[in-house]
Amino acid sequence: MRDPYEILGVARTASAEDLQKAYRKLAKKLHPDLNPGNAEAEEKFKEIAGAYDLLGDVEKRKRFDSGEIDAAGAERSRQGYYRDYASAEQEHPYADNSGFADFMESDDAFAELLRRSARAQANRRGHDLEFRLPIEFIESIAGANKRLTLPDGNTLDVTIPPGIVAGQVLRLRGKGAPGSGQGGSGDALIEIEIRPDRSFTRQGDDIYLELPVSLPEAVLGGRIKVQTPTGAVTMAVPKGSNTGTILRLKGKGAPNQAGGNGDQFVKLKVMLPKVPNPELEAFVSGWESGRAYNPREEVAS
Amino acid sequence: MKINKQEFLSRSGLGHETLIAWIEEEWLIPDSSSAEMSFSDIDIARARLIRDLQSDFGVNDAGVGVILKLLDQLYGMRRTMMELRQAGRIISE
Repeated sequence: MRDPYEILGVARTASAEDLQKAYRKLAKKLHPDLNPGNAEAEEKFKEIAGAYDLLGDVEKRKRFDSGEIDAAGAERSRQGYYRDYASAEQEHPYADNSGFADFMESDDAFAELLRRSARAQANRRGHDLEFRLPIEFIESIAGANKRLTLPDGNTLDVTIPPGIVAGQVLRLRGKGAPGSGQGGSGDALIEIEIRPDRSFTRQGDDIYLELPVSLPEAVLGGRIKVQTPTGAVTMAVPKGSNTGTILRLKGKGAPNQAGGNGDQFVKLKVMLPKVPNPELEAFVSGWESGRAYNPREEVAS
Repeated sequence: MKINKQEFLSRSGLGHETLIAWIEEEWLIPDSSSAEMSFSDIDIARARLIRDLQSDFGVNDAGVGVILKLLDQLYGMRRTMMELRQAGRIISE
C-alpha cells in the first residue's frame, strides 16, 4: 500500500481536523454507492478508507509515524456495497421509478418501452432455484419421499418417482423464489444424483446383481433368497448352475415409461468354502472324471 | 437469504433503537409479510451506507433522507436502462 499521507493528499504534520476534512472530501467523491457506474471507485475508496482508518486513529497514527507499524493490510475491505444490490435484477423494496415517471406518460415508442419494462418489474415471476439431491440406488428404483433442507433453513418435501435416473430434474412448481405483484413464484429444480450401490447396477430398465452361491447350491440347485430394490424374493437356482450363469427375475427391474418394468438379472458366482475343507479335498482327489474336464479349452493358449 | 432481527443487528452493528428509528423514517424497509420481520443482504448494505453517510461524510438526518431518495431514483433509472439495453430494441423501434 502507498503512503497513507500521500493517499489522502496531506502533509505529515496535518492536524486531525485536516485529515478528516481531506478524507471526507475524497470519500464523497469516491464512495462506491454514490458512483454506481464507476468501477474504479471501489478500489480507490478502499484505499482512502484504509488510510483514514490508520491515520484517523491517534494511537495508530503515532505508531505508524514512529515506524512501529506499516500501512500493510490497512485497506478496508468489505463485501457487498449497496450498489451491488440496488441495481441487481432481484426485486427489492427500495426500487424507485419516480425519476422518470413523466417519461412514461407520453405517447412515443420510448415511453412504451419504459411502461413495458415497469410492468414487467411490477409483475415479475420469481427466479427458479436449483438444488441437487443425492439419493440411494434403491430409492431411485423403488421411489421415496425425501426432505431437502434449503440454505435458508426451510425444507422442501420431494417425492421421488420410482425408476428415476441420475441427472433427471424434478420441477416443483411455485417452490422457487417469490415473485413480485401478480408474478407467481419461480420453480424449484431438483437434480437427482444417485449414489452408487455396492451390489446393484443398472442398464436401461434392467438391474444387474452378482450373487455368490455355494458349491452345493450350484451343483444340486435349490431355492435361495435374493435382494431386489423392492424387497427380497425367492429364486430357483437350477441344478448344475455355474459362475457366470445369469438368471432373470422378470419384472423386478426399474419401472419404464411404457408402464411395465424392466427385469433383474442375477449373475451367479460360485464360491468355495472360505476355510479349506478336508472332506471336499478328499472327495475331489478321488474324483477321477473331474480331471477329464478342461475349463480352459476355449481359451487361446 | 433472509435473516431475523437479532442477526441483522449483529451483522450491521446497529443498536435496536437506531433500527426502529430508521424503519420509522423508511430508510430501511424490512420484510414484514410474516409475523417476525426479516432482513436480507440489501438491508445490511443499505444500513452500512447510511452509517458511512453519517459518520464519514457528516451528513445529518435530513440529509440522509434526501440522499437515499435521490440514490434510489438513480438506481431505479440504472435498472431500467439495463433492462432497455437487454431488450436491445431501443434503436430498432
